[in-house]
Amino acid sequence: MPARIANIILIVLLLAVSCMKDDGLWAPGDLDLQASPEGLFIINEGNFTYNNASVSYYDIEKQEVYNDIFYNTNALPLGDAATSMTINDSLGYIVLNNSGKVNIININTFEYAGKITGLTSPRYMHIINDNKAYISDMYSRSVTIVNPSTFEIIGDIDVSNEQSDFSQHSTEQMVQYGKYIFTNCWSYDNKILVIDSNTDQLIDSIEVLIQPRSMVIDRFSKIWVLTDGGYQGSPYGYEAPGLIRIDAELRIVEKIWRFEPGDYPGALKLNGSRDTLYFINRHIYRHPVYSEEEPEVFIENPNTGLSGGFYTLGIDPNTSELYVADAIDYVQRGLVYRYRHNGVAVDTFRVGIIPTSFCFK
Amino acid sequence: MNRKIFITALLSILATAIFSQGIRDSVFLVPPVTVTSEGMFNKEEAGMKETVVDSVIILEKINLSLSDLLSENTPVFIKSHGRGALATASFRGTAPSHTQVNWNGININTPMAGMVDFSLIPVYIIDEMNIRHGTASIADRSGGLGGSININNRADWDNRLSGKYMQGLGSYSSFDEFLQFSAGNKVVQSKTRLYHNYSANDYTFINRGIGNIDPLTGQIVNPVDTNDNADYMKYGLLQEIYFRPGSRDFFSVKYWGQQAFRTIPRATSYEGPDNSNLNSQSDTDHRIMGDWKHFGERGRLELRTGYTFKRLDYILKNTVYGMGLIPVIYSESTQTGLLNNASYKLDMENDLSLKASIDANLYRVNTRDSVKKTGYSEQRFELSSFVSLHKQFAGRLNLNLMLRQDMTDNKFTPLIPYLGFDLLLMKNKSLIVKGNIAGSYRYPSLNDLYWEPGGNPDLLPENGFSYELGLEYRTAFTHHVLETELTAYRSDIKNWILWIPSFKGYWEPRNIRRVLSQGLEIYASLRGSIGELNYSCTGTYAYTSSVNYGEKSIWGNESYGKQLVYVPLHSGNLMVKLTYQGFSLGWQHNSYSERFTTSNNDVSRRDRLYPYFMNNCSLGKEMQIRKVGLSAELKVYNLFNETYHSVLYRPMPGRNYMLLLMIKF
Repeated sequence: MPARIANIILIVLLLAVSCMKDDGLWAPGDLDLQASPEGLFIINEGNFTYNNASVSYYDIEKQEVYNDIFYNTNALPLGDAATSMTINDSLGYIVLNNSGKVNIININTFEYAGKITGLTSPRYMHIINDNKAYISDMYSRSVTIVNPSTFEIIGDIDVSNEQSDFSQHSTEQMVQYGKYIFTNCWSYDNKILVIDSNTDQLIDSIEVLIQPRSMVIDRFSKIWVLTDGGYQGSPYGYEAPGLIRIDAELRIVEKIWRFEPGDYPGALKLNGSRDTLYFINRHIYRHPVYSEEEPEVFIENPNTGLSGGFYTLGIDPNTSELYVADAIDYVQRGLVYRYRHNGVAVDTFRVGIIPTSFCFK
Repeated sequence: MNRKIFITALLSILATAIFSQGIRDSVFLVPPVTVTSEGMFNKEEAGMKETVVDSVIILEKINLSLSDLLSENTPVFIKSHGRGALATASFRGTAPSHTQVNWNGININTPMAGMVDFSLIPVYIIDEMNIRHGTASIADRSGGLGGSININNRADWDNRLSGKYMQGLGSYSSFDEFLQFSAGNKVVQSKTRLYHNYSANDYTFINRGIGNIDPLTGQIVNPVDTNDNADYMKYGLLQEIYFRPGSRDFFSVKYWGQQAFRTIPRATSYEGPDNSNLNSQSDTDHRIMGDWKHFGERGRLELRTGYTFKRLDYILKNTVYGMGLIPVIYSESTQTGLLNNASYKLDMENDLSLKASIDANLYRVNTRDSVKKTGYSEQRFELSSFVSLHKQFAGRLNLNLMLRQDMTDNKFTPLIPYLGFDLLLMKNKSLIVKGNIAGSYRYPSLNDLYWEPGGNPDLLPENGFSYELGLEYRTAFTHHVLETELTAYRSDIKNWILWIPSFKGYWEPRNIRRVLSQGLEIYASLRGSIGELNYSCTGTYAYTSSVNYGEKSIWGNESYGKQLVYVPLHSGNLMVKLTYQGFSLGWQHNSYSERFTTSNNDVSRRDRLYPYFMNNCSLGKEMQIRKVGLSAELKVYNLFNETYHSVLYRPMPGRNYMLLLMIKF
């Protein structure tokens, strides 16, 4: 009798179907798409530790967006916390901040071409030539030198200040003037570091305001930096943010425009001819580089609530059209708005979670 | 599939062989059925849904942590970050801070985050456990928008001298040791429990987050990786002393201390250097409480005091050029609480009883990151007064009115009311209709208000209004007991606090306008014996719809009207345990429907937390040699070796084993 009961129970066990095979998710891609000659890659950061970063591709002429192109082409998830993308020739280098690597794709077929591994907390990549590139880093206090053709790490540049407070210096974006690479140190910091790209040595630093977040270099060799001022209660300091103009040759600060305390300006970008600045401070501002006036509002943000609104922007180097990303509540797929250079809205499309960076083909 | 058939066939043959041996023993693992009718129609608990977790279940899960027990045997959903990793609860679709956890009446939710990490509570220290669903938790304290979980220790006055030692050996270098020793008489009892758990947790898995291009074929291949940097260890002591000088007075003092270490694995897609991004966490907990219960003629007085101390250190280390491995985040926090409670219960005439209590609690939090120099130091004083009135009418209807009034940091919160009823439908059958209507309230936790950066001192408290209706039925035959309960609830919560990343580069807590949580809970338990075979079956099912009705006006926001992230719509579990002449066989099944990770419930093929069906089983034998009891049990987890995820891209272990050996006297 007990044996029979045991057998019945075991048969019931058999019926407990195992329905969780996830092999179906990893079948090779079904996206058979050839990239258009003119296109835009949108890097979607995803949520930190969720491993759900993605790349979207927007066909500028057809006004069509293709989401999750990396996964759909290669059956491989992109990684965790994608930060930025840089293109050199036919290869696109996508930096994954929390995956310690750079994934490389063919920008025409979106096929996975390789990766650069062994990075600690990489942020941005700057191509110097076909055999050398720099990758900035948040935690390792060094800039990594890599070969973009062989995908190998070839060296390191020490940027540590040898102290334990505030973990300085973390490096973020990079711009080039002649043989010098300028990089901004954002996290609990106030410096712009200067690196000689022939000798791969840190040779100088420029002190600016608290927490320089974004940086560009215009056609007149002026470096523009936008700071965020820290936050109220920050042990490193809190002040009104600023827009700073630096002469790249002389390496001195020439002019500062101040914002209000509590403002949070960011996403500093240049137009195609590199003579007009655009940035976001709740609204989108525009400022010709030769102007001594205050920056003016170009496009107003319709969202006045706590969530939603302009998160970052990108400018088409050919047409100077503006693409503005909206991360909404950061836990759903974001939106991108496309404007003509005169501010007329042209298109809106949905991309991945937290669109954080634009990269034009 | 073929392997499954093979395993089942093997077990079937094994079972037939074992059961036909007919060895006679006198110790059973499933206790014989005792039919009782009390506990169901109590006017003090009218309208309150309370689930007492069966001692069979506690025994079956003795080597695991509370997160496993809750996840597999109750309607509470556990979001687990991996084996031995952070596990938080979602009760009736609410947030982790909406479930209050009380140890012997002392609240152990951290004052910083207001929540509990259930992976740090071993089942071993629990003697009995009950769960109060939803607003029934007002009887203990406010803040339990989802409910409360109460874990208690009890004296065994029949004990004279006894001891027990358990050794566990499991997959992935897992070792568990448990030692218990108790001595006493009818007046004094002392019980000491010591435990130590360790696991290297280094299971292997196919790493879908990494792709290597095969140089020959050009295909992308996923490597087989090991779950590195995920080891954990904890050890602790629970000491109880009970003193009963007469039949009217009862004293107890209990101390529970624990030290836990764990390393937190990196993202599966991480391909940085080996000595980088190394996370580790250390939790030190000391909890001590004492109480005195005095039973008068018609009343009962209880005084209780407790002290909790928690130290949580989190370190993120990276190799820095020229400096070696140094921390980039070094966060230390110390949280203490002094909790005091005085309560009085009075039985009056005409089936009327009254209870009144007052709580005075003082919390202190001190947190600091020595690298970024951020942190805060705050104190909170809480005063809570409570009164409840219970009346039974004509032996058929119970009414329960509860009122709680809190004062937090010198601010009075609104009065929290509760009105519940139990109606006995048929006098001689235990069929009861029960229901309640109540308010609920939760004050923001200290992190919500003061965390640097992001804390918002202007946050509004969360408050809600809910009602529920249920049916409870219990029946007993000579050798079997059936208990069933069906409950439907609706809870409307406003100003729900949610942490969202802001455009300023850090996260901030916000009050979401409204969350509507409604659902159904079904519970069934059948226990009994057929000849010498004892059996116990317990199952639950929950339908949980927890929907965001927040900001509708944000352009492009599609989260309005959608299910909250990580709350499954359907969840269910079933546990079956059989014992026969010292042999035992157990089977545990639990399943969840899809959980969304995006606020608009958008799923992509890559990002799905697909439905989850988990099966575990156990096989054991117990025997008695004169005064000494010996037992051995083999547990098989993830019986069908399924690949599954509890959170995105955190791999879970395949089929694994644990052997538990025990000796007791």
